[in-house]
Amino acid sequence: MSARILLVEDNPANVELIEYLLRAFHHTVVSARDSEAALALAMASPPDLILLDIQLRGPSGFDVLRSLRAQPTLASVPVVAVTAFAMVGDRERILAAGFDGYLTKPIEPETFVADVERFLPGRHAQP
Amino acid sequence: MVIVDGAGIILLVNSQAERMFGYERAEIVGRPIETLVPERFRPRHESDRNGYLAAPRVRGMGEGLTLYGRRRDGTEVPVEISLSPIDIGTGRCVIASIRDVTERRRVERVLAEKNAELQAANEAKDRFFASMSHELRTPLNAILGFTGTMLMRLPGPLTTTQEDQLRIVQRSSRHLLGLINDLLDLARIGSGKLEVRAETIVCQRALAEIVEALLPAAQERGLALTSSGPEAPMEICTDARALAQILFNLTSNAIKFTERGSVHVTISAAGTAARFSVRDTGIGIAEADCARLFQPFARLESHAQEGSGLGLHVSQQLAHLLGGRISVESSPGAGSVFTLELPRPS
Repeated sequence: MSARILLVEDNPANVELIEYLLRAFHHTVVSARDSEAALALAMASPPDLILLDIQLRGPSGFDVLRSLRAQPTLASVPVVAVTAFAMVGDRERILAAGFDGYLTKPIEPETFVADVERFLPGRHAQP
Repeated sequence: MVIVDGAGIILLVNSQAERMFGYERAEIVGRPIETLVPERFRPRHESDRNGYLAAPRVRGMGEGLTLYGRRRDGTEVPVEISLSPIDIGTGRCVIASIRDVTERRRVERVLAEKNAELQAANEAKDRFFASMSHELRTPLNAILGFTGTMLMRLPGPLTTTQEDQLRIVQRSSRHLLGLINDLLDLARIGSGKLEVRAETIVCQRALAEIVEALLPAAQERGLALTSSGPEAPMEICTDARALAQILFNLTSNAIKFTERGSVHVTISAAGTAARFSVRDTGIGIAEADCARLFQPFARLESHAQEGSGLGLHVSQQLAHLLGGRISVESSPGAGSVFTLELPRPS
């Protein structure tokens, strides 16, 4: 089952990695490097799921999440944080902010796509 | 010391008070006590003084509010005053002992400033750890990620040599990641920033999760990984994440350093403590080495280059943080038993 996924990530190597993995498993990926591009892409064509880095240049992932949720067409799109913030308390902080899920970097390539797919609408997801 | 009569007139000052306020005795005796009070406090002082005389009692040093005296040159001096009523032939007087607290106030201010500086430095250090963790993990994402995609053969087939070499890249990167995580944990323990969040947990459940997570690693090495414990759920109040980290570390060490045989983890109650024992059939550790096992980078020669060299040290620090300790019993050729003891609510 192929999904449309929006990736918001500013590190080029990580964009390439995550795009590559998702496409290898037949998902469609569009990528944005910053908050502005992310909102434009998401509003132009609402994706099935959004993967959002927390530390972006300019507005942070938390800001992007708020802007996404403020759009009626995007309010129900699941948003999963993919972040290298993996210290104690980060997970709680991120889930409390309203993310649907939290995946840490470095990602596990073998399980990453399956981990992402759990958050697609219609599947039983647990953060 | 200053003695004042019922009308607030100074009857006597000692030489210390003369020096503190900059008056000669002859200049000040016979004048109202308010001469020694800053202008802004004078009206208040007069009514307080009358109130005190109506119901006099001994008032000790430091019981009053922040008080100020006024020197002859008009400057103010922070003071503490104790009062005692005294009756003499002509009526009731008050003895006021006055202490100059300029120096103490200065020290208090310096201490407050130092405290603020230390807190700012601590916050800066926290921010540094958080960014360092983030910055070090970000490039590892691409390294481990693309190594993984190649090993998954997503881009195409691999020769045996390519696969072997990529496995080495993967192992080394994971080693580096472990080292980074351990170092950050250690830094946070050292700065007192690793908060212990105690909650009630069931020992058997905590252990089962670790065994499940490490079973594949044990099977890969052809080892049996088993656990046992009392039938009834054994509860302790501790930090679940720290406990999991310690158990994971002890158990994965046992798997790493055991060539053949088994790793067995038991839970038992020992008086007021809960005891987790990880027993392996590995090569064992010489007595001399047991002593320095928990020091950072105390990697033993017999144990090659596996591990970060910080795992046991971090685990022991975490155990101390939880009010417990890790001990080891071992001899060469006879395997090792690492035991974590944690306090239990009585």
